[in-house]
Amino acid sequence: MIGLWDTTGDAVVKALSQERRSAGGVATGLALTLVVVADEPQVRAAEAAATIAAAAHPCRLLIVMRSDETHPRSRLDAEVIVGGRLGPCEAAVMRLLGPLAAHPESVVMPLLAPDVPVVTWWQGDPPERIATDPLGIVAERRITDSARAADPIGTLRARAADYVPGDTDLAWTRLTPWRALLAGVFDTSVATPRQALVTAPSDDASAALLCGWLSARLGIECQVTPGESDHLTAVTLLLAEGGRLSVTASGGHATLASSGCPDQLLPLTARPLGEELAEELRRLGPDQVYAEALAAATGITSLPPRGGSRMRTWQEAG
Amino acid sequence: MNQATAPDRQEDNPLRDVRDRRLPRVPDPCALVIFGVTGDLAQKKLIPAIYDLANRGLLPPGFSIVGFARRDWTAEREFAALVAHAARTNARTPWRDEVWARLAAHLRFVNGSFDDDEAFKALAAMLDGLAADGGAGSAAFYLSIPPSSFPTVLDQLNRAGLGEAPRPGGWRRVIVEKPFGHDLESARRLNTSIDQVFAPRDVFRIDHYLGKETVQNILALRFGNTLFEPVWTSHFVDSVQITMAEDVGIGRRAAFYDSVGTARDVVQNHLLQLLALIAMEEPTSFDPDAIRVEKLKVLRAITLPGDIRLHTVRGQYTAGWVAGEHVSGYLSEPGVPADSTTETFVAIRLGVQNRRWVGVPFYLRAGKRMPRRVTEVAIIFQRNPHLPFDPADVEMLGNNQLVMRLQPDEGVTLKFGSKVPGTTMEVRDITMDFQYGESFTEASPEAYERLVLDVLLGDRTLFPDASEVEASWQVIDPLEEAWAQTRPEPYRAGRWGPHAAEELLASEGRTWRRA
Repeated sequence: MIGLWDTTGDAVVKALSQERRSAGGVATGLALTLVVVADEPQVRAAEAAATIAAAAHPCRLLIVMRSDETHPRSRLDAEVIVGGRLGPCEAAVMRLLGPLAAHPESVVMPLLAPDVPVVTWWQGDPPERIATDPLGIVAERRITDSARAADPIGTLRARAADYVPGDTDLAWTRLTPWRALLAGVFDTSVATPRQALVTAPSDDASAALLCGWLSARLGIECQVTPGESDHLTAVTLLLAEGGRLSVTASGGHATLASSGCPDQLLPLTARPLGEELAEELRRLGPDQVYAEALAAATGITSLPPRGGSRMRTWQEAG
Repeated sequence: MNQATAPDRQEDNPLRDVRDRRLPRVPDPCALVIFGVTGDLAQKKLIPAIYDLANRGLLPPGFSIVGFARRDWTAEREFAALVAHAARTNARTPWRDEVWARLAAHLRFVNGSFDDDEAFKALAAMLDGLAADGGAGSAAFYLSIPPSSFPTVLDQLNRAGLGEAPRPGGWRRVIVEKPFGHDLESARRLNTSIDQVFAPRDVFRIDHYLGKETVQNILALRFGNTLFEPVWTSHFVDSVQITMAEDVGIGRRAAFYDSVGTARDVVQNHLLQLLALIAMEEPTSFDPDAIRVEKLKVLRAITLPGDIRLHTVRGQYTAGWVAGEHVSGYLSEPGVPADSTTETFVAIRLGVQNRRWVGVPFYLRAGKRMPRRVTEVAIIFQRNPHLPFDPADVEMLGNNQLVMRLQPDEGVTLKFGSKVPGTTMEVRDITMDFQYGESFTEASPEAYERLVLDVLLGDRTLFPDASEVEASWQVIDPLEEAWAQTRPEPYRAGRWGPHAAEELLASEGRTWRRA
């Protein structure tokens, strides 16, 4: 570990290569660079998640902590760790103060591993337009988390308006177990659903995306109805043949109830943030199914299709 | 994926999309019937693999495990305890009570011996009962039993009508472990008796080597890249070495091993399958049948050395030291006859008779009580025909090598020459190392996990079929014939086989790679 106080980007690059050499052969088969844009108070949570994700996908991990932007003088503090407390990755944790906090790309760009994919994860509020953010442009995949925003549904709308292939959202990632369950139901059932009801708070981003997915795939209407809990608890499908099919979550599993069949218990466990992040790192291609669900959820239907060229305009920030 | 095996309801599922790579494929509701559930393999590999699959959410709701064994278990609770113990001790993924509770709710046990008609009737009734709960009565039978019991069990399955699913859309499959016979004739007999009960597409022969990520990576490396295929011919390749070394001895398997020997135990299946994957032409698609066609062509093109005794080496380990421990020789292992002529090491030079491989020797070696456990395939390239350097400068430059290491430390290494820093033009071999564990440490599923899931999904890509098994025996049989009445050469435990193995290559101007 090398700690650098009030340093420069150059010094961080040198420290990283020095640490790599002395660690001897750690992470020689680097598969990607993960850039985490964290806010200072949550940086421990971001590190914990990145550590779990790095265990599955050894990477170069660059954590950028934007600290006090109002500080009169720019300042960069950095910690360089190879194969240490952040798992089997080579990491630089950087704290940016003052005007520099608005230009994190200037320290991140020289640290990107050559010619491997870049993934950027905004832990907190993402920039309004991630497609033109400097850290968004360099990335093959841009991960946001609408559920953490003050206005999740509004944020989803912004994501749809801003969408470019390669965008993804952790509110969508969280749905994978639910989607796997629901898809599993239709592997064996020939029922034709005519309406879907999702029980969740009305401002739940995941529920909105689930609704979007169901209506996009099944071509039916879907509604979110508030339940007693503060998160997504149930999905009910009303069938054209009459009867209903429902999946209700409760503590580690879900119950599948279907008219005329005995109830079935199915696995449904919440995953730590790090595992969700690891799922995002598994496939780096654009997620068209997400795009369709996002379009259906927000009613913004002109999302660019696969291969759409990305805007590469650099905008001068602050 | 094999659409022909079962009507694929997942195809018509409106919630599934080929582009949606996040959703796992989950089999239809089904049961796995395990014969020999108290055996070593079931306890150490099979049951843990099933638990791991359940833990990863890859098993269908209502998935049942049915154990068949001769035990006076009065209650299914005792069977459940045995399964729970196996899963808890040997599973790869963490223990979760709720996962276990779901599995345990569908555990069934049938008490009986293999010649007990009533027990098989009970089994049939039980599977019908499971089907009544909404499934199509699909079931896979895992024969984790000695080969001598195969005919009996297959007969019984046939008699009880278990070979066919009771309802449309259902399936009945059978999973067979190696050995697939002990020579061509017995393999054919075995295949015939299986075919009487199950359709060929419902027979899954498990070769757990083929379930390994790195073995599948051979195909990705060869057919996904432009870099390697152009040099994958006799124009550039000097020779190929396939090594499968184990540091262990035969352990408690004397009764089985002494009647088999290394060639039948691992060369017939693992090593020849590896050779086929290395030497095959590009399949027209990744369809199991397309891959099989190409593998079969290679297996049938294998040529044996003209003088088998001259170009093959058999060895048998004697007492020695392995990994800091003194170990006894093969003949002193418990259960081995003092005059046994069974080999524990073989080295063979094979050829592949086609345009791509003409003249390239394929050296295969496999053995027990080697210095370390390693399985690898090395492609040794030809020396550069003209080196514009002073001979002294390239003294340390060897053949370029591409090595696929299958276990342990799965990965690929590329060995090539590079200038040594300094004022002289000295070129020396260096190794570029790609380790699976570094680029993708995502815990790779165990081979059994992958293979069991593939059986339940009906995907036959990783399973050799009867024709491949028979083609491999056609390679092994003449060897065994030539070796009859000969004694294997002794080698000290902890060495890379008898000295003759070195001479086998030395006589052709080559050496074994130190694996």
